[in-house]
Amino acid sequence: MNKVSLDTFHLEARDINVWFGDRHVLKDVNLQFPSNQVTALIGPSGCGKSTFIRTLNRMHELIPTAGLAGSVLIDGQDIYDESVDPSQVRLKVGMVFQKPNPFPTMSIRENVISGLKLSGRKSQISDDLVEDSLKRASMWSEAKDRLDEPALSLSGGQQQRLCIARSLAMNPEVILMDEPCSALDPGSTRRIEETILELKETMSIVIVTHNMQQAQRVADKTAFFLADDNQPGYVVEFGDTQQIFNQPEDARTNDYVNGHFG
Amino acid sequence: MAETSSLAPVKRALRVKPATREDRIFFGVSAAAGYSSLVFIVLILIFLGVQAWPTFVEQGVFEFVFGTGWSSTDVQYSIGPMLWGSVLVAVIGVSMAVPMAISIAYFIEFMATKRVAGIATVFVDLLAAIPSVIIGLWGLTIFSAVGAQWGQMINSALGFFPIFSNEADSFLRTPFIAGVVIAVMIVPIISSVTREIFSQIDGELIKASIALGGNRESTFRKIILPVSASGITGGVLLGLGRALGETVAIFFVLNLIYDEFNWFNILEPGGGAIASLILGKFGEAIQSEVSALLAAGVVLFILTLIINSIAAFIVSKAQPWNNR
Amino acid sequence: MNLEPVARPKSAEPWSRTTTQSRLLQVVASLVPILISAAAWLVLGVDPIVVVVFILLPLLLISIGTVGFLLKGKRGVPDAILIVMTLFLGTFVMVLLLSVVWSLFDAGFRALSPHFIYQNNVYVTPTDGLEFGGVGHAIIGTLLVVGLSTIITVPLGVATGVYLTETRSNGRGFVRVVLQAMAGLPSIVAGLFVYSMLIVTGVSQYAGWLGAFALVPLMLPTVSRVTEEALKLVPQELRNGALGLGASSWKAFFQVTLPAAKSGVVTAILLGVARVVGETAPLLLTVFPIAGTNLNLLEGGMATLPTYIYRFVALGFDTAIARAWGAALVLMILVGILFGLARYISRPKSIKKKKVNR
Repeated sequence: MNKVSLDTFHLEARDINVWFGDRHVLKDVNLQFPSNQVTALIGPSGCGKSTFIRTLNRMHELIPTAGLAGSVLIDGQDIYDESVDPSQVRLKVGMVFQKPNPFPTMSIRENVISGLKLSGRKSQISDDLVEDSLKRASMWSEAKDRLDEPALSLSGGQQQRLCIARSLAMNPEVILMDEPCSALDPGSTRRIEETILELKETMSIVIVTHNMQQAQRVADKTAFFLADDNQPGYVVEFGDTQQIFNQPEDARTNDYVNGHFG
Repeated sequence: MAETSSLAPVKRALRVKPATREDRIFFGVSAAAGYSSLVFIVLILIFLGVQAWPTFVEQGVFEFVFGTGWSSTDVQYSIGPMLWGSVLVAVIGVSMAVPMAISIAYFIEFMATKRVAGIATVFVDLLAAIPSVIIGLWGLTIFSAVGAQWGQMINSALGFFPIFSNEADSFLRTPFIAGVVIAVMIVPIISSVTREIFSQIDGELIKASIALGGNRESTFRKIILPVSASGITGGVLLGLGRALGETVAIFFVLNLIYDEFNWFNILEPGGGAIASLILGKFGEAIQSEVSALLAAGVVLFILTLIINSIAAFIVSKAQPWNNR
Repeated sequence: MNLEPVARPKSAEPWSRTTTQSRLLQVVASLVPILISAAAWLVLGVDPIVVVVFILLPLLLISIGTVGFLLKGKRGVPDAILIVMTLFLGTFVMVLLLSVVWSLFDAGFRALSPHFIYQNNVYVTPTDGLEFGGVGHAIIGTLLVVGLSTIITVPLGVATGVYLTETRSNGRGFVRVVLQAMAGLPSIVAGLFVYSMLIVTGVSQYAGWLGAFALVPLMLPTVSRVTEEALKLVPQELRNGALGLGASSWKAFFQVTLPAAKSGVVTAILLGVARVVGETAPLLLTVFPIAGTNLNLLEGGMATLPTYIYRFVALGFDTAIARAWGAALVLMILVGILFGLARYISRPKSIKKKKVNR
């Protein structure tokens, strides 16, 4: 008798298909994102990785002419169900963008708690929360003496970590990161990668990246996206990062991770 | 033996000087044009100042600006009620116009579909071009009766507040009506400026707000408005400047009273406006009166200058984050 | 794996799926207050403004707010209030503005007729019907006065714009401040200036050229500012290209920069003209409106469209007001043409390929 153990898949995408207008841009994406793991999405530019990530926190529908089929399940519930309020989804699934975007009119402290104010959860605001979020984002030592200074007085790398702290203050279960280090210098990149490794103890992280070394450094699992000319993007291969990079099953994966095409 | 020079290289002044004769003419002519506007405005200021000076001396600056009464027979001129009236009508107009203008801008930028937004934008920009004399014509012939009726209703409901009281029998030619006419006039301007500001807000900020769980109202109140605040203020002050300088429209719909201040009774048929004073009195003005009118013009000019400067300052200063 | 694109299915927008129940709720919530308000107005005879402010608005706030609560919980209520208030305030002022436009077309068209456009009012009394007379003389007057003003202002304004963009003079900051100040000059003060400098002192009688003169400080800042912006849009690389080939500054400007900014400069001129064509106050103080046609800018009275409107409004008779609306419509058409031209000229153009003669 075999005991079948089931992983708890925290976040799961099933049969995701995406259109912009009539153009089919993503086909039949099936991915599972387990708890406490980092998953990297890699692949050439333009094959739909960023588009896909936006379907996970219902930011995709904000784009005009967006279309979607399939479902995204959080703990088994489809977030696209009629009864689900999109802003509730975003409380559970946070997002960090490619370009750091702290709110310019607010101080550092105000930025950290901005999500709570925007989502109407003011009762959870406290100095402890500010400190905790900044610590988890590896920003506390740099920010603790400047909490009331404008957020824009920080450097690019610091601003991005502030954005991470801002998302963390919401206590999400998943954080989506869309090429978070592509606008930053190597030093800041390293700091953020360290932060990601610390954060995965308590949450899932899905990170889109062009940097294959980065994927190998931080991700437990990796999905390789590809799109042929005039065809929708799709997942070629998905598995443990080690396996994807060292023993890929698919020849195209092999070509990509060995730099044979960009 | 290494010889270290202790002299830093001498910095040379780099000036772009016109080289050929044609270039000198080119630069000369454009400089002349540039300076001519300087000359023009200085001429106006000097002339106004010189002509207005006797009035300030004879009447006393304080008495002229803040006193009451305008009489050519007694040679006593004061613009107090007119100055206050200009401010009162402008304040009424602007305070009504701002929420309405921001609503239109918000609707166009954040609620309407692209096609509707495009049509609405062109329409509002065209409305901003309607000459004020036409709005005055509408204000007098079409709106005054309606506005008087509104005034009457406000009075019957809230007349115990001094601001809404009315001793006279009529609700026509009141600061309230003038204020509404002004509001109609400046809404398109404020709305155009605000819409422009809204369209330039970095989309990433809105996305960040939504990704954090913000709804429409909290995104508007906590993100959109603070980021646009200084630009909107600039637009509002622009409208305020126009309201203060407005002549004909107010002249049509407001009853000018020179002898006493109408401080707050916006439903009373009487008020003032400096520009309308000038329009009303210039025709038969005797020499001393002309000087007094010029003095009134100087006061008005100074007022609009102050407001324009504040507007320019606010817009330029507090915008380090706007990518203009 | 089949990778061919699949056509977008009909139900590709799960986020806009609303249950019939919620859609019905929204429709009902919008209609019920409107119906109640309409009933209050038409059946009970309550004054329209009272209905709108005290019945329609509160009912809409309550009903849409409730729908927001039912659909989105506590967070839906502020959203609903924002939507209702935005639409309410926006519609309120648009109704007023549309009233202006409507009166303009309604009353204006009634006064319009072929003879209205070209006749003057020499044989017309204030109470004559609209079959007599017209605005012909006022149109000519406006064209002449504004035309003279344009002839004076455009070279000055464009040259000032050039001065601010193309030279590196130290006086530029100062000139900008001065233009800013000039932009704040109330139009009546401009008229008062000319009046007191030239009329009261006896140098001249009321005449057309004085009005043109008074309009100059009102037009100059606009023309100069828009020219400056148009010239700034020309990329520096273009100028550098010409200078690098050895052209003098003046040649570089006239042969490269100005053609590139041509449409912007024309727009500047059109906007400046549109700004002053409706100005009334300065003309009232400097030009005496007459009933006949006068082509002489140097002496004699001259009617212009804005002063025509003013004069007939002041007269107050029904026929006079009707005439004023007719003139207002003509004026607005003129402004509309100018704006339309400005927009047409400044529209984004496709790059045309020029034939090269070999």
